Amino acid sequence: MDISQDYFSCYGLPCDYSVDLAVLRQSHRSLQQTHHPDRFVTGSDSEQRRAVQITAYLNQAYATLSKPLTRGIYLLQLQGMDPLAPTNTQMPMDFLLQQIELRESLEEMHQSQDPEAQIDSMASKLQHQAGQLESEFAHAYDSSDLGAAETAVRKLQFIVKLQQQLDALEGALLD
Amino acid sequence: MALLQIAEPGQSAKPHQRKLAVGIDLGTTHSLVASVRSGQAETLPNSRGEHLLPSVVRYLADELPQVGVKAQAHLVDDAANTVMSVKRLMGRGIEDVKRLGENMPYLFEACDQGMPLINTVSGLKSPVQVSADILRALVQRGESSLGGELVGAVITVPAYFDDAQRQATKDAAQLAGIQVLRLLNEPTAAAVAYGLEHDQQEQGTIAVFDLGGGTFDISILRMEQGVFEVLATGGDSALGGDDFDHEIAEWMRQERQIPAQLDLAQQRFLLRLARGGKEHLSDVQNTTLSFSGWPGAAVYSDLELTRDQMNGLLDPIVGKAIRATKRTLRDAKVTIGNIAKIVMVGGSTRSLLVQERVAGLFQQQPLTDIDPDRVVALGAARQADVLAGNQSGEELLLLDVLPLSLGLETMGGLVERVIDRNTPIPVARAQEFTTYQDGQTAMAIHVLQGERELVQDCRSLSRFELRGIPAMAAGAAKIRVTFQVDADGLLEVSARELTSGVAASVQVKPSYGLSDVQIADMIKASWTNVEGDRSARSLREQQVDADRLVEAVTMALAEDGDRLLTAQEQQGIVDQMEQLVIARNGQDHHAIAKQIEVMAKASDAYAAMRMDYSIKRALAGKAVDQL
Repeated sequence: MDISQDYFSCYGLPCDYSVDLAVLRQSHRSLQQTHHPDRFVTGSDSEQRRAVQITAYLNQAYATLSKPLTRGIYLLQLQGMDPLAPTNTQMPMDFLLQQIELRESLEEMHQSQDPEAQIDSMASKLQHQAGQLESEFAHAYDSSDLGAAETAVRKLQFIVKLQQQLDALEGALLD
Repeated sequence: MALLQIAEPGQSAKPHQRKLAVGIDLGTTHSLVASVRSGQAETLPNSRGEHLLPSVVRYLADELPQVGVKAQAHLVDDAANTVMSVKRLMGRGIEDVKRLGENMPYLFEACDQGMPLINTVSGLKSPVQVSADILRALVQRGESSLGGELVGAVITVPAYFDDAQRQATKDAAQLAGIQVLRLLNEPTAAAVAYGLEHDQQEQGTIAVFDLGGGTFDISILRMEQGVFEVLATGGDSALGGDDFDHEIAEWMRQERQIPAQLDLAQQRFLLRLARGGKEHLSDVQNTTLSFSGWPGAAVYSDLELTRDQMNGLLDPIVGKAIRATKRTLRDAKVTIGNIAKIVMVGGSTRSLLVQERVAGLFQQQPLTDIDPDRVVALGAARQADVLAGNQSGEELLLLDVLPLSLGLETMGGLVERVIDRNTPIPVARAQEFTTYQDGQTAMAIHVLQGERELVQDCRSLSRFELRGIPAMAAGAAKIRVTFQVDADGLLEVSARELTSGVAASVQVKPSYGLSDVQIADMIKASWTNVEGDRSARSLREQQVDADRLVEAVTMALAEDGDRLLTAQEQQGIVDQMEQLVIARNGQDHHAIAKQIEVMAKASDAYAAMRMDYSIKRALAGKAVDQL
């Protein structure tokens, strides 16, 4: 098992944005079955160490490829781009304004009469936007427009962050 | 016809001989050892047919320690030398233990690493040593029952155990001379005990509800083709059946207007009466609680307690467990409808109220056919059998997650998360940091575990130093810190300066860990304090940035301000710096951020001049091959 190869190759998948999650999962399971440290408990120290490294690599690979955001970022990184670079802060104005609005409505939900309904409606709004950005990315990436792909994935990152904050808010409110 | 067997040197002469391995449930009140024999996992009894070994060790002056029932008999008359509930002390520091100490009769002494030592007639004993004595008794029982030497053991730990507690458990096994095949989380072991992976068609999500005497664990697992994968784990490490007893005892005290100031014997009396009543109400609808034999002058009349009344008392406590369960379902991103099976673990799940509430939440009956006291040991035995290599073909694989987030201290007492909790293990993550000051040659690495944003609210696991970093301008060094967590959940941290290759690494081996109450508080507080933490964090971050900028500019001005700038330029920078110091001492992080920006702009040109100058100076007088 070569842990310097890219994540797609290790699962025998084409280096592409669209991934068959069932195949990915199946392939991940069977590689884990072979390489997990539990298979080497009676092995040598170096075998055990290697097993920990390989499994850690596989866990990272699976986590990266199984989510649309991290998969998109990873594809661009393979192309030598760095969509997460801190210097990379240019975003279209209308998108930023929309983000500020969403963030404000998230903050107002604390005082809301019916927070659950608002959370649900915002969750589906975000879900819809995420879906759109994913197809935008796929289209741009397939037509080798890496600049547009990068913009899409950076927008998606904003949305995913909002989704996480919404989840946390939901957790806090339901407790 | 017997086949001739030829064995190469170093190979086993009997390749098909079954390797002997056991599963050990090293519990707070009692421990068990189990093994797979003729395809069945079973707990192993001692010669008197007892399966549960009380987790009690009594130290004697010139004899080997007594373990189990024999030791238990001396809890009262030789309290100082008879150690019980040592699991609560594992991986704890002396300070944590002092807080637990009220009802512990031992004399503690601190050793160099802050680990508490118990002063007994047979010398100072660490919790690791006491646990090792229990493990030795279990291994002996295993070897005599199975008739041979063990290749190793799977030892179970609560899913909630942090790195220090896991490490202490592994150290105890090492001390007892046992090869640890794996540290396995108790809920995972319980799920395995039910053999759910044998239903070929079955792939589904399982909830393991583990309510013991003092702790509550809830884990959500996914099972698929022989692979058990923990999706999320949560709970409350200060919630358990003991709380039931206290609640009932408190009710009795108030009903009979017994004064709140009770001596130890009176407390014990009330608790014993409460526990008896609780257990009785599992079979009948109402019970009489009799105060005859009350250790005091007052006389109290009998009390009637109905099951409904008791349920009313206990419901808020069970409700806490139900809420923690819902939260963990959310963490696992599954809904109640996704749960195919519920496995019950721990003596307190015998409570009918608990079973009803769990069934009510999941809209199905939980599995209760395996004794909830033994289910963990049985699962560990199955896993030990697999790991020893006794199973062939389709194999069982257990995948765990990190129970609590790991991070590093950064400037201003903030924690930078490196690995989030509930990340599948083994895992390796690297994070890059840089130096804070010009010419900095060492960096302290402080490893923390917990969910909060500030260092003071997380558990310190380890501190070490990376030395010998070549002197560079602030921000020029690149220090990569790598965390690696193995399948047992044990952490190893290494650090390397990338431009020079200077490296340091530690097997994180802390002398103490989290106290139960601390874990519960930390988890709870991380939910309630998210907002407060965030603004505190923003303020601290801006303050750190401001300090860094002020310090860097002050030092730079002292060094070469006169050489590179006019007096007027210098004064302009100093004015902005004063404004920044004023903002920094306020509470408004927006104001600080704004002033940092202004200040940075004011000193940008100066910084560029310095950079040029420093490069020229560095290159001056050096031959090309020296660079």
